[in-house]
Formats: sequence, C-alpha cells, structure tokens
Amino acid sequence: MKPTILTLIFLISSFSFSQNNTIAAGEKLTFTASYKMSGLLTDLAQVTMETSEVKTSTSTLFRLKCKARTYSKWDSFFKIDDLYESYVSPTTLKPYLYKREINEGNYYKFVKYNFNHKSKSVNSLLRQKSRNFESGFWDREFTKTISTNTRDIVTTIYHIRNLDINKATNGSSDTFTILFDNEETNINITLLGTETISTNIGKKECYKLAISLSNSDILKGTNSNLLWLTADANKIPVYAKFKAAIGSGELRIQSATGLKH
Amino acid sequence: MRILFTIISVILGILALAMTILPFGAIAFIPIILSLIFGLLAFKLTKQEAKNVNLIKIVFLVVIVALSITIYRTFIEENTIDNNIESVEKEKKSEEEAIEELEGIEIEN
Repeated sequence: MKPTILTLIFLISSFSFSQNNTIAAGEKLTFTASYKMSGLLTDLAQVTMETSEVKTSTSTLFRLKCKARTYSKWDSFFKIDDLYESYVSPTTLKPYLYKREINEGNYYKFVKYNFNHKSKSVNSLLRQKSRNFESGFWDREFTKTISTNTRDIVTTIYHIRNLDINKATNGSSDTFTILFDNEETNINITLLGTETISTNIGKKECYKLAISLSNSDILKGTNSNLLWLTADANKIPVYAKFKAAIGSGELRIQSATGLKH
Repeated sequence: MRILFTIISVILGILALAMTILPFGAIAFIPIILSLIFGLLAFKLTKQEAKNVNLIKIVFLVVIVALSITIYRTFIEENTIDNNIESVEKEKKSEEEAIEELEGIEIEN
C-alpha cells in the first residue's frame, strides 16, 4: 500500500506546475560533453546551464539558458554553437517563451515558441536558411494546441529537478510531454535507484534515472540513456549517459555555482 | 613478412601523425600503439635478416613525436572555449528581444 501512495504523490507532483523549491537565479552548471568514437570518449563540447532573473515592466521571470559550444580545437573542423533559452515563472517554472538557435557547421535553425496557457496553445516560429528568399531565411509560423502539462525541453529538465524524487519508490516512472520541433513528444523517466558516484564536484549520492522517448526513435536501447541527479535539495544533474541514433556519449559536470541550497 | 610489417608500421605511423595534428583526441592512440607494435616486429625481423633498420627508426621517431603530442593534448592541455564578442552580443540581443516579447504578459505565480 505504501509504495502505491508514494508513487501517487510522485505522479501528482509532476503533473502539476508545482512550486519551485530547487532553482535559484544565478545558478551556473558547466558540463563537458564527450562523444564515443572507436570506443574511446573524446571531449567535444562544453555545455552550460545558467539561470538569471529578467524583468519586464510588469513581471519578473527566470531565464533558463543552455549553451553548447565545441572546444576551440574542434572549431576549424566542425563548430557547434547552440543556444536554448526558456523564460519561465520563477515560482512555478511554467514556460512563457522558448527559443532555440542551432548553429552546427553550415546548418542553422531557429525555433521560437510563445506559450499561451489560457488558450492552451503555442505560437511557433520556425526559421531556416534558404537561398529562395531575399532575407536568406525561410520563416514559417504555426499555432499548435498543447496539453496542460506540455513544456519545452529546457523547462522539462529544470522541472524534473524540481520533483520530489525523495518521495518516489524505486521503479516508479512518470511521463512528461515535450514540445520539440513543433511535435509533442512523451518522455518517460524511471527512477532506478540511488547510487554514489565520483564527480568533479565531489563524491555524490545520486538518483539514477532512466530516460526514454515514447514516440520517437532518437534515443536507443533500454536503460541506455541515464541521468544522475544529486540526492539532495539541489538535485544537480552531475552525469548523463546517452545512446542515440548518431552514436553514444556522456555529459560530466565540471562545476556548479550559485546553487539554491 | 618483414616488408609487410614495415609497410603497415609506416602507414600507421603516417596515420598516427595525421590524427595527432587533426583534433582526434585519444583516438590517435590506436594507430600510435599499432604502429609501435608492427614497428617492433619489423625491427626484430629486419635485425634477424641483418638488413638496414633506418626506415623503422624514422617511423619510431615519428610515432614517439605523435605519442608525446597526443599525451599532452589528452591529459595536460585544457579544453577551452572561444568566447568571442559576437557570441556574447548574440545572447544579449536575444535576451533583449525576449523581454520585449514578454512585455505585458501576465505571469501566473
């Protein structure tokens, strides 16, 4: 009976836009992204996750910024300069604006979502490079109806950190809806247990979570995509392993500053 | 066999040097180690047959240089990011545009 109640609490807390008890403005997490080539891990890029406060004339929001940049030594061969931003409510982490700018070699893509929670819809803009237009860009605008709990990918990462994972039992899972490339995708998170791992910010007891996508074949394997969150009030993502169609790799934390707890 | 091992060692040595110059990281260790193994075998056979070992010595020299550079790049050199002004300006502009767009929006707390 007890595990059922705990699982229920975990589900309820994740389905609603719960209060933010984990994320503070001024937090900066830096990671090294490595890619597996010929069985050897090669450091490819730096990933940063930063939070800051932004003010409009009427309200205050959190800017959740994620950046991926290739290390300088790779830039002449293949340069990645990706910027993901989400502007959210500081108390509920509800997204209002999401922007994604991808610069990978010669590939460019810009995506913007304006969330309207009252009408449960998203106005999206998709911009790609095109020689057919004088501006050099091909802009497309869409309006999409979304479900109550649909978030962008950046907000979802922060939302997962904000869950009361300590109340969940091993093996319990939850599904989140992500709007990515104008498509709603379900991401399943399963709590596999706790594990103590060595990281650059010390030896940490972590929640080990398995990630899978319901209606997409981007991620491969069963329990091959794993995320370790520190089992404390900050729930810092310290380590992640992924296996995708393009190959496998990992994300290791380098530093964590400006934490709330 | 001696000639085959020498050719393999030379090819792997060139590959090791190329991979060291290009940012292949730790992967360069693969041709470096293989080149050294085949080089040693070729060296032993060449010595047994009392032939000239100069070519193999050159391969060793090249591979040792490649090995030193790869060790330095993999374990000593720090990974750096080119934080140019353009990138900083882009992020700042993006934030300003976002604030403009969010102006007037009612935030539910």
